[in-house]
Amino acid sequence: MIAAKPILEAQGLTKHFRTGGAVSQRVVKALQDASFQLYPGKVTALVGESGSGKSTTARLLARLYEPTAGQIIYAGRDTVEDKGRSKLLKYRSEVQMIFQDPFSSLNPVHSISYHLKRPLQIHRKAQGRQMTEKVHDLLHTVALTPPADYTPKYPHQLSGGQRQRVAIARALAVEPKVILADEPISMLDVSIRMGILNLMAKLRDEQNLAFLYVTHDLASARYFADETMVMYAGHIVESGGSEELTQDPQHPYTQLLLSAVPDPARGLRTQETEIAGEVPSLSEVGEGCPFAARCPHVMSRCREAMPPVTRLSETRWVRCYLFDEA
Amino acid sequence: MTQPMPTFDQARTDAEPLLSVRDLVVEYHTQRGLVRAADHVSFDLHRNEVFGLAGESGCGKSTVAHAITRILKPPAHIAGGQVLFDEVDVLKLNDDQLRDIRWRRISIVFQSAMNALSPVLTVGTQIADALQAHENGTAQMTRRQVLDRARELLDLVGIDPDRVNSYPHQLSGGMRQRVVIAIALALNPELIVMDEPTTALDVVVQKQIMDQIRELRNQFGFSILFISHDLSLMVEFSDRVGIMYAGELVEVAPSQAIFNDPQHPYTVRLMNSFPTLSGPRVELFGIPGSPPDLITPPPGCRFHPRCDVALAGRCQTERPGLQPIGARHMAACHLLDDKIVNKEDAS
Repeated sequence: MIAAKPILEAQGLTKHFRTGGAVSQRVVKALQDASFQLYPGKVTALVGESGSGKSTTARLLARLYEPTAGQIIYAGRDTVEDKGRSKLLKYRSEVQMIFQDPFSSLNPVHSISYHLKRPLQIHRKAQGRQMTEKVHDLLHTVALTPPADYTPKYPHQLSGGQRQRVAIARALAVEPKVILADEPISMLDVSIRMGILNLMAKLRDEQNLAFLYVTHDLASARYFADETMVMYAGHIVESGGSEELTQDPQHPYTQLLLSAVPDPARGLRTQETEIAGEVPSLSEVGEGCPFAARCPHVMSRCREAMPPVTRLSETRWVRCYLFDEA
Repeated sequence: MTQPMPTFDQARTDAEPLLSVRDLVVEYHTQRGLVRAADHVSFDLHRNEVFGLAGESGCGKSTVAHAITRILKPPAHIAGGQVLFDEVDVLKLNDDQLRDIRWRRISIVFQSAMNALSPVLTVGTQIADALQAHENGTAQMTRRQVLDRARELLDLVGIDPDRVNSYPHQLSGGMRQRVVIAIALALNPELIVMDEPTTALDVVVQKQIMDQIRELRNQFGFSILFISHDLSLMVEFSDRVGIMYAGELVEVAPSQAIFNDPQHPYTVRLMNSFPTLSGPRVELFGIPGSPPDLITPPPGCRFHPRCDVALAGRCQTERPGLQPIGARHMAACHLLDDKIVNKEDAS
């Protein structure tokens, strides 16, 4: 089904943070051994609860954090060893990030025009009169029209949805191939959200962009993403086509997560599910499957080692001993 | 498509409402001018009912909840209307009378459990404080009895009673919110106002807490005024829902009717603004534009600038009022004029 080559790929990507002082040093295992691919013209969702490591993953791919281990392969080449301003600048013109909060990701003392001109200058994408033209094109692309109405404005003069459109336009300014969107709609009002998701879907289709869509909202992943990966306590535990995964979840955690989402379309009341326990602290995650302590199907080997990837189909895999033939 | 109404709901409306909000007006004095955050809001809440107030940020839903519990702070003030709780106007009570009602009969669960609890007191002490501050005659209750009651309350909300000696920072976010609910339950109130009780929590913890609240309601029979921006949760948890837009209540109906058969153009578009996990995967559009600035609200219907079926003329000049349009279904829209039914039939 997927014939194209991945544009961005994570291989065994791992990030540990050291916290605490000299006496009580702890290691927070924010991301462990994550491998996945992003494809041009595809949206891949990364879904999980807070603290599951999904934002860490996006920030690693944006090279805002240094990975503890693993590879970040862009267009077939590992970029983890690329350091220094010019190499990172090149990478960042290809891989752009959109943040959750459009109130803090734009600078209140600068105009919209300034926000869009800066990346054009830094990445030398346009000069002089061309610059204004390019800014107007960008505003057109994100449907802030007529552009001249928006360029002189300041962030506080725009609504949340308009601000997020500016943030998207800014990401597009450098003509990226990959956009890492970290909860891009969760701060916005319900009536505004679909406009932003539809805009990003249009960019995926028209500009063949690859998206990583980080979200806690499974229903929006079903709506917007082609593929969905589910994270729990630093591990990606299941991955597959969004429709398949949300309609027929395989991993016990995915099943738990889906049963917890309020869904009026499902009927008057959701079935009462027995949900015990809470997400473990990331500094206390042991060797085994992190979900073992809460899993209704737990077996002794679940506590010993993280299950390997079991492929269920060409596009679907799960990390759970229930599916491990060996 | 109209859903048949469950009969237990029908029976419920026959009784006198526990809470009756009539033409409530709340204004904020800001530097830029006067903001009418709640404009002639009227609704009833019955015994053992969960009534939800939903809407986008700034629509006035929290303002209404705070006005009902009289915890509004300046620059907000109540400019008109009545809040009848068991036929007594809460807005007319003096501080002593208010103290009698508050917590013993109406309690509140706030959005952020992190801020609702004091970080320097154990949860047991905080529950005990609520008990002793409000229960008449607890003077006779010994410290021992109060702490026993605190343990009992923790047990009720699914926390190990031995946690009475824990400090809030030793508990997870979900457990802290459970403690806040335990405090709200402390004096067996008839009404609990819940202002976004699970907004700061993850969906699995949210589900645990909402299940718990539902169970407690079945056990104790209190009513809930439930405030949320999460429409899926709202529809699933509430018996009836009121949709607010720009300070006004625009539609009130049983929650399944709000979801399956919304009538007001705003509600219709709002219900088409969020994806669901089941059912067909359809393209959704949201609503163009943004809610109005309440310092200069549009004349006529406040939704008309964003409404694609608004009538030139009438919708732009004349403000629609909330009218009965079906069984226990009210909406404020000129386009629904032909659906208006006799008040008697509707109730």
